[in-house]
Amino acid sequence: MTDQRNDAAWATSRRRFLQNTAATAGAVATGVGNWIMRPNWANAAAEPIKVGIATDLTGAIGFAGNADANVARMLIKDLNDQGGLLGRPLELYIEDTASNESVAVTNVRKLIQRDKVDVVLGGITSSMRNAIKDTIVKRGKTLYIYPQLYEGQECETDIFCTGPTPAQQCDTFIPWLIKNGGKRFALPSANYVWPHLLNAYARKVIEANGGEVIFEEYYPLDQVEYSATVNKIMTEKVDVVFNTVIPPGVGPFFKQLYEAGFSKRGGRLSCVYYDENALNINAPHEIEGLASCLDYFRVLTKTDPVSARIQAEYDKEFPGNILFAAGAAATGMYRGIVLWAAAVKEANSVERAAVAAALDHAKIAEGPGGPAEMVPGKRHCKMKMYTAVAKSGNYDIVEASSGLVDPKEC
Amino acid sequence: MESAVAAIFEILSFGAIIILVVLGLGIIASMMGIFNFAHGEFVLLGAYTVYLFYGWGLPIALGMVAAPFVVGGLGLVLERTIIKRFYAAPVVAMLGTYALGVIIRESVRGLIGGLYHAVPEPLIGSIDFAGVHFSRWRLAIIVITILVMIGSQMLLKRTSFGLRVRAALENPALARASGISTDAIYAVTFAFGAALAGLAGALVVPVFSLFADLGLRFLIQGFLAVMLGGVGTFEGPVAGAGVVGVVSAALPWAVAPVLADVLVFVLAIIFIKFRPGGLLAGRSI
Amino acid sequence: MDDKVAVAPRITEPLEILKARKGIERRPILPIIELSVLVLFAVLPLIVADYLTVFFTRVLILSLLAISFDLVWGYAGILSFGQALFYGTAAYSVALMARDLGITSIFIVLPAALLIGLVLSYLIACFLLLGRRQPTVIFVALGTLTGAYAADRLARGWYYLGGQNGIPSIPQMTLGSYEFDQGSVYYYLAFVMLVVVYAGCRFLVRSQFGLALAGIREQEARISFFGYKVQTIKTIVFSLAGAIAGLAGGLYAFHEGFVWPNMLGVILSTQVVLYTLFGGVGTLIGAVIGVIAIEVMSYILADNYQQIWPILLGVLLLAVIMLRPTGLVSLIVSERERIGDFEPSRGRRARWRWGR
Repeated sequence: MTDQRNDAAWATSRRRFLQNTAATAGAVATGVGNWIMRPNWANAAAEPIKVGIATDLTGAIGFAGNADANVARMLIKDLNDQGGLLGRPLELYIEDTASNESVAVTNVRKLIQRDKVDVVLGGITSSMRNAIKDTIVKRGKTLYIYPQLYEGQECETDIFCTGPTPAQQCDTFIPWLIKNGGKRFALPSANYVWPHLLNAYARKVIEANGGEVIFEEYYPLDQVEYSATVNKIMTEKVDVVFNTVIPPGVGPFFKQLYEAGFSKRGGRLSCVYYDENALNINAPHEIEGLASCLDYFRVLTKTDPVSARIQAEYDKEFPGNILFAAGAAATGMYRGIVLWAAAVKEANSVERAAVAAALDHAKIAEGPGGPAEMVPGKRHCKMKMYTAVAKSGNYDIVEASSGLVDPKEC
Repeated sequence: MESAVAAIFEILSFGAIIILVVLGLGIIASMMGIFNFAHGEFVLLGAYTVYLFYGWGLPIALGMVAAPFVVGGLGLVLERTIIKRFYAAPVVAMLGTYALGVIIRESVRGLIGGLYHAVPEPLIGSIDFAGVHFSRWRLAIIVITILVMIGSQMLLKRTSFGLRVRAALENPALARASGISTDAIYAVTFAFGAALAGLAGALVVPVFSLFADLGLRFLIQGFLAVMLGGVGTFEGPVAGAGVVGVVSAALPWAVAPVLADVLVFVLAIIFIKFRPGGLLAGRSI
Repeated sequence: MDDKVAVAPRITEPLEILKARKGIERRPILPIIELSVLVLFAVLPLIVADYLTVFFTRVLILSLLAISFDLVWGYAGILSFGQALFYGTAAYSVALMARDLGITSIFIVLPAALLIGLVLSYLIACFLLLGRRQPTVIFVALGTLTGAYAADRLARGWYYLGGQNGIPSIPQMTLGSYEFDQGSVYYYLAFVMLVVVYAGCRFLVRSQFGLALAGIREQEARISFFGYKVQTIKTIVFSLAGAIAGLAGGLYAFHEGFVWPNMLGVILSTQVVLYTLFGGVGTLIGAVIGVIAIEVMSYILADNYQQIWPILLGVLLLAVIMLRPTGLVSLIVSERERIGDFEPSRGRRARWRWGR
């Protein structure tokens, strides 16, 4: 016990403790860095362009964050192999937002204040975007590109969104659902902002196309017991379930719905965030016929050579279960980086105002799923949207938008 | 009428699931006086074991039989190395098991890639009875839960092993003086609680799919159930879990789900305030 | 060297009473630690980079929160898993005040945060602590946990509060026309608050009131027989701690410019308990050291082991909890210096069970 410890040993352990503290303090004060990937052709004279990625590498959203980080690594390497941008090499700085807003802000500050990056891409959930955007845009005066599908209404200057908006996910999808499902809609939703705003938009489109919303309900995020909901869906003879319940609730919900016989009697399941990652949540027979509307599906590699090339390159560099999928913001990240690179080339500088002005109307001809264009003045991105249906655990494209779909934001 | 029957079945099955999950937690809390913050992670490990068996192509039912043994064994090892240091200070035990839970959870998250994975149930399909669909697997869970409860009860009350456990619980010094190794008893009890958690995880993974936060989701409801039911007995946590499970499943039929969520907790706390012993006032087992 | 000389000073101060009882006097280490931490924090902005100053401002604010927990648990024996509730509620309230009413003056928002924390904790204390029967430790723990959990769910579900997204872009705190931005100024503001609160608490726990608190923590029944109104004292301490937590919440809201449901919830509450236990319960400075240690460790680990740092953090925490359950401070400070020993021996295990 402490009483019996003699002075000498006590003093030694105290000395060691203080030494360790001093060493740690020294390391902390100088800031241990973590930048990655400087091309070996980079000469000392050309000052590098710094790209910052702030995404969830750990925590509940880790599966998506890691995909985004991989996309960034892949693209920055490609850009460097082609000689960099404006003759300067690109340096990639990746920070973990850890699915935790408090940790995220600290780490994003590192990107802005210590690494002094020229652009930040990242954030996946809207709450994460809200947490870090002020640090980046207001205090850091840096450009911020947000790559994930979301509820819209982010209209702050210097924030550019490259993921699908409710308009893009509903405008072509809902008419298809009415034609291939029925007119009676149910909107079971997770209780947070994205479903609220998405449902508000969806309702407008449903009613404009002759459909009817039978009920719209919100559940706590980790509710896993949906018997009341399923019962309502079955007794009210709902044709289409436009679902925004998210994991962990969505698995049990779809399972209970299947067991109650919803698909057997012709009901159509639909869920706009359902990508290849989500296909694993339920057994294939439980989600047979589920329809989703996203900007990219893996099955496009069979018909679109550009998508095939991008997917193949990703799979070769990052084999494993971190998938390049549209629900994980990976496609938005791809678009964001390539659009930004195009804007930098046009502006011929990395200074924020110049790049923002160029990015405002930037276009790319080749992206996952097709070309993409920023809508001038709106800071949102037009892209091709695809409707796909799940068959035996894989997706089949049933409809592609004829052109680029307008995001209709801001 | 049909929907009432379906409702009752669903509510009962969810109640059974909560009872199963909480059983191990209650036993450890009653026996050793520590709230095991890592209990949810033991549930997760049971689920993960079944997932591994599924991934290796082995029958899932086999995985479900193996899971309690695997997790129980791990519980034994953890008890001998880590948990036993915490018996003197229950608060430290809470934090220590919390840290342990973080380690297990993040490790599993890394292993399964942070995604959700479906595991098919051993008994697929449903039984149609009087126009209502009864999921076979959920029915099986209810049956197994009842069997496990009866089995545990009998183990503790009718066997000499159970007698020794109760002796060690009531008066450790006297038990030791009588030649009972309290160390061994604690180790086995902890392992037993862990094994129950593993079994719960294994049985529920087809219903909820496997994901790293599976255990965390049940943790708070578990504590509430144990508190509500009363610590110190075997029946207490079971009753508490039953009530929490049933009320959580039933309230959304009556009120808006968001409200129902909070209501369960508030009601439980008010109840405990006026009846601190819990539903079944604490008697020793 | 033998300094085991029994000195018999005039026994007036509680610390000296304890020292004299144990018969051994050592040079007090605790004040040295407190002073070093004070000096370190005072000069920190002058030696580290700007973004690290912002990081340490967060550490200061979290230290306030940890001190509030140490006050209730380390000194009064109330295991409150709900400090985050008061912290978060105050943060949300000042955020709403700033967003909807445009009130950002420091003279209004900080006292408001303090008051909100005070009132809320008083109400909760009345419900949980007062009453005919003495509540058990675990009842209070669970009651506060439930409060935090319920508030978290409520905030997540309520659209006016921003739901899961929280309230972003909170305008900055003002003093007249001056806006408090992140950086050295806010750092010193938080620092002054911390010093004032710390001094106040330290004074409180070394006073007669503090002695009564120590008595409650160790042997509640005996103290009540002496005529002390245990429930009242507990309520006072709990409310005070709630006020401090509220203040921390107000500071945090304006510093980060963002409040969200996790600030109210169970995870932060547990984190606070972890900070305090890690650093050393019952020493006040232990809470501060715990925050520093865990935050700095997280920072360094996240920098160097991006993929697996949560696991490493868990391992480190477990190691310290196992090997040093009394916290980091006890590495340097002998147990006697903390006001009363806070590890119940095995003989008192019965009392620590869930009944009374």
